[in-house]
Amino acid sequence: MTALIKVHDLTIHYQGKCLVNKVSFSVQQGRPLTILGQTGSGKTLVAKAIMGLLPSVLEASGTVEVFGKPVMAQSRSPLWGKSITMLPQEPWHSLDPLMVNYQQVSEVYESVKGEDGEAAFNHAIDDLTHLGLKGSALKRPTELSGGMAQRLAIASATAGGANLLIADEPTKGLDSSRRDDIIQLLQRSAQGGSLLTITHDIDVAQQLGGDILVIKDGEMIEAGSAESVLTNPQAEYTKALIYAAPQYWQIEKLRKTERKAILSVTDLTIGRGKDALASGLNLTCHTGEIIGVVGDSGCGKSTFGDTLLGLLPPLKGEIKPLLANTKSHQWLKLFQDPPSSLSAHVTLQTLLNDLVKLHKLDTQKIAPLMEKLNLPESILQRSAKDVSGGELQRFSILRALLLEPVFLFADEPTSRLDPFIAKEITELLIALAREQGCALLIVSHDPALIDKCCDTVIRLDQQKHKSVA
Amino acid sequence: MILQLKINQKVGVGLLLGLLLVASSIVQLSPYHIADQDLSGRLLAPSAEHWLGTDHFGRDMLTRIASAIQLSFVLSFFCVLTSATLGVSLGVITAWKGGRMALGMDVIVNILLALPGLVLVLLFAAIVPGSLLVLYLAITLTQWVEYFRVSRAITNTIINSPARQLSQMMGFGPWYQFRRHIWPELTHSILTLASFGGANAILTMASLGFVYVGIQPPLAELGLMSVELFPYYAQAPWILVQPLIAIATLVFGFHLLAGNKHDGAH
Amino acid sequence: MWTLIKHRIFQLILVVWGVGTLTFVLMRNLPGDMAYRIAASRYGQDSVDSAAAEIVRQELGLDASWWQSYAHWLTDLVQFNLGKSLVSGLPVIDTVQHQLGHSVLLAFTGVLFASLIAIAIGVLSAFRQGALDHGFLWLSTLLRSMPVFVIGLMLILIFAVAWPILPVAGFGTWQHLVLPTLALALSLAAVSNRVVRNNTLKVIRAPFYQFAAIKGLSPTQTFIQHGIRNISVPVIAFIGIQLVTVIEGIVMIESLFSWPGIGHGLAHAIFARDIPVIQGCALMMGILFVLLNTCVDLLCHWIDPRGAQS
Repeated sequence: MTALIKVHDLTIHYQGKCLVNKVSFSVQQGRPLTILGQTGSGKTLVAKAIMGLLPSVLEASGTVEVFGKPVMAQSRSPLWGKSITMLPQEPWHSLDPLMVNYQQVSEVYESVKGEDGEAAFNHAIDDLTHLGLKGSALKRPTELSGGMAQRLAIASATAGGANLLIADEPTKGLDSSRRDDIIQLLQRSAQGGSLLTITHDIDVAQQLGGDILVIKDGEMIEAGSAESVLTNPQAEYTKALIYAAPQYWQIEKLRKTERKAILSVTDLTIGRGKDALASGLNLTCHTGEIIGVVGDSGCGKSTFGDTLLGLLPPLKGEIKPLLANTKSHQWLKLFQDPPSSLSAHVTLQTLLNDLVKLHKLDTQKIAPLMEKLNLPESILQRSAKDVSGGELQRFSILRALLLEPVFLFADEPTSRLDPFIAKEITELLIALAREQGCALLIVSHDPALIDKCCDTVIRLDQQKHKSVA
Repeated sequence: MILQLKINQKVGVGLLLGLLLVASSIVQLSPYHIADQDLSGRLLAPSAEHWLGTDHFGRDMLTRIASAIQLSFVLSFFCVLTSATLGVSLGVITAWKGGRMALGMDVIVNILLALPGLVLVLLFAAIVPGSLLVLYLAITLTQWVEYFRVSRAITNTIINSPARQLSQMMGFGPWYQFRRHIWPELTHSILTLASFGGANAILTMASLGFVYVGIQPPLAELGLMSVELFPYYAQAPWILVQPLIAIATLVFGFHLLAGNKHDGAH
Repeated sequence: MWTLIKHRIFQLILVVWGVGTLTFVLMRNLPGDMAYRIAASRYGQDSVDSAAAEIVRQELGLDASWWQSYAHWLTDLVQFNLGKSLVSGLPVIDTVQHQLGHSVLLAFTGVLFASLIAIAIGVLSAFRQGALDHGFLWLSTLLRSMPVFVIGLMLILIFAVAWPILPVAGFGTWQHLVLPTLALALSLAAVSNRVVRNNTLKVIRAPFYQFAAIKGLSPTQTFIQHGIRNISVPVIAFIGIQLVTVIEGIVMIESLFSWPGIGHGLAHAIFARDIPVIQGCALMMGILFVLLNTCVDLLCHWIDPRGAQS
């Protein structure tokens, strides 16, 4: 087995702060390596360092050997496309928005491999046909879905014939079924060479196999074969990382006796504008019940929640509130992206005061609730732009719960957060909703999360609109 | 509201305020009047008596320049104030209410954008020549559209933002939503537009004066002065240069205030 | 693309209506006998007497309500009956056609030179950051503070007083075109070179630009295949925005350099209260504005067909 690339003692500093500390590994021919870590762990920096793409403000030391020869960072660009190539994090932004799809591949055959126009064209069309993109050959990247754009990016990155493919979060933002497609495609593309994948997703690491390197805050935590690391993790951090996945969560189900019906939905058809996204939906919500909605992106999950809240009109069918005396501000929503759901121009304290003043809330309740949500008092003096996503989402939950909601629609509330934080917030949200007797509708693209948390599950499929209780 | 200005914006504010202060004090303290002619002392070079010299009628240049700068400030101030108020309020209301009003506003905006601003102002100036009021109305008419379009576009995105939707769901009224969500997002763009608007008002008035259809003599106006003094460029270049420098300084001040993001305006 | 052309045709109608209405108001607002003035605009200043004025009064029903004469006024305009100049007695349409050619020439050379200057300086500043970029930033800021006629006056001062190699005013040879073009081009390029620079930076820092290099393309190949087109889309769109400045610049530059174009004609006519010519010139400027805008739209559409869908 030959090492395609060997990294020795890679260290990266920024203004005296260590971002990556003495990371060493090698990628062998035919044996993929996966670097596993959370946001801010420095894993993307490692990929950039290998490519020679680190911004000049960062100081890097250590050596990178390519095919057994050490190569300095600045002289690595001639290797791009021919020996090493890298898949971008955001495929949409990495494809030329004005260039027709097939040209993004054929230009590589022409410019890198020196083929003539016709041969390059045929080559590119062959590639697109294999990827199921032939129908989009003459379209532009903006007309592609996320998964299609990622496939096109893979085709154009590998057209130059590089042996080593580096993929930085290749499955970011994709549904689980699309994710599996991309992983298989990556494995195929790396045949004869090797694959270095960077991800935060344990499932991806598991499917890719080969070796795993776990890093945290720029430090190597654990390394070994995928099988041994995932089934028998040694480091505490690796264990926590694995058990933060929804399939390991412990959540108590609702006891059926204590519930009261608050909302009934009969034969509902939902959609935005005139196009129906799903139909024939039936449901009865109860106090303290956790209802999950799953389905691929674009199937109408969020539309369903918005329709129940009355933000969108139903296309057909009936939504009937069953509880008397509920006020409109007790039907609330928790958004996917915490920073965009709060005004960043004033402090969180001001936002809280606004709410207290408007609804004449009892200020005594705030402190205990903040304690339950693990929110420090000091956070209120800051504005939304200076607070982390996880804390902001907990603050959003605080504001919502202060209004004693009867129905709360949480639209992918943790999908932008790291697994540890996602787990903590979901558990808190469910516990507090149960305690207050609030019905909670959770939308997620992750079936495991929904299965684990919810008392009732609604599956929306694009083709067949069915509800399963 | 705390405006966090960058360093060159602060320089712009300082420059403009300084200019305004100096110009007003000169107008107040000067022993001359802008129309005082002295045909025996024409085209004089700067001296202790006439700090910036005299023009072709022997009028004191310092007094005339100061008066012209003051006039420019007054006009641009009222143009900016009126067009910003009108444009922003109509923009926010149109974005929020939509419907028929949006259609009607589209037609009005299209009419105003069909002709270049200066041509429109020229036509108005032709109807009532030499009137400062008409000049102000015409410039305002061409300028409010920009505020309207920008504040409408920004408000449209805020209306659909999760933060505003959430405020509405939580029971906050329209005024709160405007104050917390829309206004803070608007201020930066409005300041930029207002700075360019101030500069453009001055430029438009000077352009009109320059083609003889703006403010009428003997009032001192920078464009009119440039064209009146132009025939003496060989004899007395120093007096021709004065109104040119004054215009450039005023516009420069406003551009500094706007910040260096000219292309951020669209 | 069809909606695009429809929008421009709609705009053209608005131009005709707007100019017609404003000149009508102007007409009603002037002191003296309106019938006499209209007669003069039809038959020429010299051949007007009270009989001719009476015929006009009868025909247009000027004693009738204002909206009837307004309707007449607009009907004339739609048929391109622009009348005769009150000053020269020549048919307005002939004068204006002649002037339009000169203005188009000036506008075209001005925009062309502005683009050449702006693209060269803009791309250079983007690729060579630092002192050069900073120098051009300050130069642009200073030049931008000067209205186009101030730039023109300075050029005159330089070329008439200090370095007399070019004619300062008038029309005839190609030398006459140099200073007006330069003044217009400098004024336009002062802003657009920064737009070129900012958009160049934006493109060469864009993920797709870096990805093209990672695919294996050389820096030159990357710039040719992914740089030029992506930079030109916002830059051409900006030229569309700058068209207002072009038209306004033409009015000022032509007046300054006595260039016999439409802007010069308009300023003169307003000064002389020559209403038929005012109407003709304003109309032509409006039409020129809409036509230039349409060209920019079509160019944008050709480079970036995505815009058609939105």
